[in-house]
Amino acid sequence: MKILILGAGAIGGYVGGRLQQSGADVTFLVRPARSEALQRDGLVIKSTKGDVTQKVKTVLKGGDGGPYDVVLLTCKAYDLDSAIEAIAPAVGPNTTIVPLLNGMRHLDVLDAKFGKDKVVGGLARVGIAMSAEGTILHTSPFAAISFGERGAAPARASLVELDAAIRKSGIDGGLNPNIVQDLWDKWIMLCSLAATCCLMRGSSGDILEADEGQAIVLETVEEGHKVAAAAGHDPGDKGMQTIRSFLTVKGSRFTASMLHDLEKGAMVEADHVVGDMIARAKKAGIATPNLRVAYAHLQVYLARRSRLG
Amino acid sequence: MKILILGAGAVGGYWGARMHQSGVDVTFLLREKRAETVKRDGLVVKSPRGDATLPVKVVTKASDGGPYDVIILACKGYDLDSAMDAIAPAVGANTTIVPILNGHIHFATLDARFGADKVAGGLARISGMLGPNGEILHSGANGVSFGERGAKPARAALVELDAACRKAGIEGGLNPDIDQDLWDKWIMLGSIASMCSAMRGSVGDIMASDDGKAIMNEILEECRQVAAAAGHAPSEKALAAVRGSLTQKGGKAVASILGDMEKGGAVEGKQIVGDMLARARKAGIAAPNLRFAYAHLQTYEARRARGALK
Repeated sequence: MKILILGAGAIGGYVGGRLQQSGADVTFLVRPARSEALQRDGLVIKSTKGDVTQKVKTVLKGGDGGPYDVVLLTCKAYDLDSAIEAIAPAVGPNTTIVPLLNGMRHLDVLDAKFGKDKVVGGLARVGIAMSAEGTILHTSPFAAISFGERGAAPARASLVELDAAIRKSGIDGGLNPNIVQDLWDKWIMLCSLAATCCLMRGSSGDILEADEGQAIVLETVEEGHKVAAAAGHDPGDKGMQTIRSFLTVKGSRFTASMLHDLEKGAMVEADHVVGDMIARAKKAGIATPNLRVAYAHLQVYLARRSRLG
Repeated sequence: MKILILGAGAVGGYWGARMHQSGVDVTFLLREKRAETVKRDGLVVKSPRGDATLPVKVVTKASDGGPYDVIILACKGYDLDSAMDAIAPAVGANTTIVPILNGHIHFATLDARFGADKVAGGLARISGMLGPNGEILHSGANGVSFGERGAKPARAALVELDAACRKAGIEGGLNPDIDQDLWDKWIMLGSIASMCSAMRGSVGDIMASDDGKAIMNEILEECRQVAAAAGHAPSEKALAAVRGSLTQKGGKAVASILGDMEKGGAVEGKQIVGDMLARARKAGIAAPNLRFAYAHLQTYEARRARGALK
């Protein structure tokens, strides 16, 4: 099985690096500067699960080195359009696209471009960053990706093969028959965390120090919960309890990565993670007063960012 | 009339400097370090209305040089306790304290400490900041407003202070309805400080978001309702003026609290936003947006306290 990975950033670099290390046939589709650096230095991973530097295959165009059985898409949501353009030549009749993005909206966009049958569900749960020099820094004790068919059909052969490759590579997760529910669960959590951390500009624990911080966090979770339920993907009591307790740990230094991006002056997935949740709520007639204010905060950030350059 | 001014910051310093220039008997109560600088270099004012370097009177203890007829208190709300300790020795039987603080919460504290009859109402509309060498960088607005609370006839000291302001070219002065003016300013400040801090942007940045204008108008309405519940609803005209400046497309206006936050400084969150929210609650007014803003400010303070600001 041939795997193409779009980007060799934090997630793509780590997953692709581990897959290759365990013998999988991996190619990275990257920009010229990244390609040069990878040719020169190799792909460097510093990880709680062991460091490794290895030579990797890179291509500059999706049309090179194919056809590919699986394309792993690890871009940010705001880069989705250019990512689609980049991978399009690599997508043949038997290619499966596994997007590892937050939220849900990218699935509609990918479906429209490539056809629903080519696109499966996928998500990453990793604590990984990339240094300015391009080193993949995996500092957390976990690294998992999961993926699966979005409907009730049994997993296609390429996903079963990908599952085997992931297991061999030591990455957690793998094939998930309930990937769509998993995507919603993660989105509710991420949307609440990103909305509150950014609106309040603090860690989860800082917010809980405010008189009504906990109430605001729980209301925000409930807004996402209602949207998921309206879509037929209520996480259920246990799933919701997991999310709530995760976000209400007193003293927690846990922070949405979106807040780090905000404080670096970087681009943020505001529309994808928060805006789209509000859009779905509106369609379903659900009020989202907290997400509304958080989204306004993000839009103000983006306005100021473009004003100040 | 002898006037004591606590501190020589942008507001009290500017006001005092102009009065000093026009021959009013003004003394500044300063900390040792600031006193040394001002004694050595004079009080330096850079202003579109004229620069000046003034050999002003300085004391480091309020018991020196008194008794004073008027004490102008232009500290930040979070410094009120230490400011009260500093001025206490200067407060005699006939002293009037004119606090120039934001919000309302300081009145209860001052009244309890010195007696309500000694405390007048006051506010400043002076814009400026301190430069790196302690010079006052005045940037425009040049007004003050003070008077008896409860619309009583003004005592002699306030009438005299009014005359001193006129002589000094300071606009405004004695205001027979200082209570309303305090509320009008607080409504404006409560709204802009809430929004600029919680949204981390200028009025124009806020207006660039889909719901920014709506949220700004809602928060202004929350503040208006609190003022109305206190018997101080702003006039239609005053409200329209505030609304216009707070919803100006591309508006450069920004609350100074945002600058303080971006420097990692202390903020008057409780005085400007928290107390407005508390009053809303007491009066049964729903104030969802003030609630977000105050949570934002409290989160900021928690993060600042643990030394983790970016």
